[in-house]
Amino acid sequence: MPAQAVTTAKLPGMKPILKIEDLVVEYRTREFGQRVTVAVNRLSLEVFPGEVFGFLGPNGAGKTTTVNVLLGFVPVTRGAAYIFNVNVRDPIARQRIGYLPELTYYYKFLTAEELLRFYARIFRIPRAEIGPRIDEVLKLVGLDTARKRPIKTYSKGMQQRIGLAQALINEPDLLILDEPTSGLDPIGRMNVREMIQRLKSKGKTVFFSSHELGEVETVCDRVAILHQGELKATGRVSDLVEKYKCNLEQAFLKVIGYEPGHE
Amino acid sequence: MNNALSVASIVIKELYRRKDFYVLFVLTAIITLLMGSLHFFNDDRIVRYLKEICLLLIWISALAIAVGTSARQIPAERENRTIFPLLAKPITRGQLIAGKFLGCWLACGLALIVFYFFFGVISVSREHQWAAASFFQALWLHWWMLGVVVAMTLLGSVVFAAPSSNGTICLLIILSILLLGRHLNKVAVQLAEPMSGVVSAVYFAVPHLELFDVRDLVVHNWDPINWLICVGATLYAAAYAIFFLFATWLVFRRQPLV
Amino acid sequence: MPAPSLILALLFVVCFTLATWLQPWHQSWAGGRAQSDSLLGVVMGNSRQLFANHFFTKADVYFHSGYYPSVFDQAIGGAPHITAAKDAAAETDAEHGREQSEEAGFLGPPRDWIDRFSRNFYPSRHSHLDRPGEAREILPWLRIAADLDPHKVETYTVAAYWLREHLNRVDEAEQLLREGWRANPDSYEILFELGRVFDENRHDSQRARNVWELALGKWRQRSARNGEPDDFVLEQILTRLAQLEEREGHWEKALSYLEKLEAVSPKPEAIQQQINDLKKKVVSAPPANRSGAQQTGKP
Repeated sequence: MPAQAVTTAKLPGMKPILKIEDLVVEYRTREFGQRVTVAVNRLSLEVFPGEVFGFLGPNGAGKTTTVNVLLGFVPVTRGAAYIFNVNVRDPIARQRIGYLPELTYYYKFLTAEELLRFYARIFRIPRAEIGPRIDEVLKLVGLDTARKRPIKTYSKGMQQRIGLAQALINEPDLLILDEPTSGLDPIGRMNVREMIQRLKSKGKTVFFSSHELGEVETVCDRVAILHQGELKATGRVSDLVEKYKCNLEQAFLKVIGYEPGHE
Repeated sequence: MNNALSVASIVIKELYRRKDFYVLFVLTAIITLLMGSLHFFNDDRIVRYLKEICLLLIWISALAIAVGTSARQIPAERENRTIFPLLAKPITRGQLIAGKFLGCWLACGLALIVFYFFFGVISVSREHQWAAASFFQALWLHWWMLGVVVAMTLLGSVVFAAPSSNGTICLLIILSILLLGRHLNKVAVQLAEPMSGVVSAVYFAVPHLELFDVRDLVVHNWDPINWLICVGATLYAAAYAIFFLFATWLVFRRQPLV
Repeated sequence: MPAPSLILALLFVVCFTLATWLQPWHQSWAGGRAQSDSLLGVVMGNSRQLFANHFFTKADVYFHSGYYPSVFDQAIGGAPHITAAKDAAAETDAEHGREQSEEAGFLGPPRDWIDRFSRNFYPSRHSHLDRPGEAREILPWLRIAADLDPHKVETYTVAAYWLREHLNRVDEAEQLLREGWRANPDSYEILFELGRVFDENRHDSQRARNVWELALGKWRQRSARNGEPDDFVLEQILTRLAQLEEREGHWEKALSYLEKLEAVSPKPEAIQQQINDLKKKVVSAPPANRSGAQQTGKP
């Protein structure tokens, strides 16, 4: 079923900050006969500066694969993806992005400060700026008092926060978050929502995948709904809700063709 | 280069925060001092056996550090998922490999400096003379040999699934080369074709790590090697290290991380 | 008594009974290793002889400052390197020179560029520990070899030779030979070396004579048992006894030894010449000295 573009909300002349064109990602399994699994099938979408874009879909829809393509972890079979007009295969495309993975693991033998200093050097942040930047980011995520402790002593919540800190160290223009509230308690989720809104108010662009439709409805400007590797719908949250005459969750279920009682 | 050096600094930090190096150094020191406390026929000026034992322990320890550290670099990054936030930064896979290599190699170099300093102290305390040139050459050549070992092990780490299997296979290959590498041409002469050709091909293809084992020269107080020859050996090691690193990059650059 | 304690006591009794029954059975099949009172013997068994041989060869390697053929060199070159440095030193200069050229040749010309290049990184020139005191470096390996295999006679004789001849450690040489003799009471080789200690270093002719005569007796016993006489050592014993008796003025005894030596020597004409010279000396000696020929040394 072709994607249903509910609205294409963009200002005239505005170039997308993130552009995916006809993306196809196939995996070859290691079984005899080498069966091919299509993880993403002809996905095309655009994300514009300053918006919070939600990337939705059930498990196995292809969300994480798409994110992995954007970050260069997975090679593209066909099509292309661009960040700031630079092909994602080029490492420089990642100069102005911040990435928060779903599972946050960092070098356990390093302290928070050492980890951030390491990443800051990779972003080629000038030496004189690294110290103040680290201070700012650690204060923002509430890890200032634990900066000298090795990460192996951190709780899960603290590890999530250090993950956020490393995603923000380079003051990214585009933040890519993979299930940012996964495993967090309600306070943690609220903090993440507040952080996203704060970033938006600063003009940053946020692209995140999530299962938490309630949060998506709260913070996102536009969403894309993926199912079985194909884009099913994209557009403003309000337009989707209006079209299907229900809340986002029910609209989501309708778009992916889910009927209760039929698994 | 900046990215590679940044990654290297992390590797070095990891080495000196793990216990491996300290345990190996303490073991080496204890065994050497124990052996040094022995007196054979009431003569306390016997020194060569002690030098040999100390150097053997240094070689074993250095190989353990080199192979152990290199074998787990990339697999551990994948297993611990630290590779994802790292490669999400503007760093290429080639820079990551270069950084891992530099880190492991420099870490080995630091370890060697400590080990050889201890060896020098033991040696001078008995012999009352300091063969500085020979010691430096031994350290230098040993370090470059470990560069080849690290590069080889890094290649193994992107080819083999588990660090333990990679480490075992690499150690077996390295020990085989050290013990048999020099003699393969003699073995080839005694075999019939086609085995003779195969063994000869292996002889010319493998990196001759035994070239860098100058322990006998140090133990028995031979004159230092000609410096030009040393430079030649350095270039030889550099060529093989670059070859293995290039192969590692070729394999790793297309590997899906998930 | 509570049940668990009873069970524990019962188990203890069973274990004790089993141990008393198994111990003699183990002794009967474990052989020498079970009877050994040495920790090394129990732990290593017969493999310690392999290690002892290795360390004995190691001493030879050290004597040559690391220049030594590998098993692969030996396979190609044919003749394995003679490991007894003592024997090498005991030969004449001409023989030693021939041996040197054989040793120098084991590497041969380089087979390829790698072989040529690699010779810069290991000892590739013939060398001996010739400088005063250098020979001490071989001692640790000989000591270890002796500890691992006390029945390897050559270890004691080689070590003793280097200790007394080159390192001026006569007491240590004697102590080592006595230790070797305790482990090998039938060894004439060790007795011969001990005699040399008494003769050359202690200048105690009486004891030297006693020990060499004992060595001669042991040699005869072993030859009678084995049927494979070791004429080389017999020559040396007889030569030394003849020299000693000649020095002491016991011409008859000296002649007697020389005649026995002539029968086994590879150069009987040279021995015959010595016999003739000695006879001339006896004839030309003053009557008082000539009577010394009648005297026999007391054990």
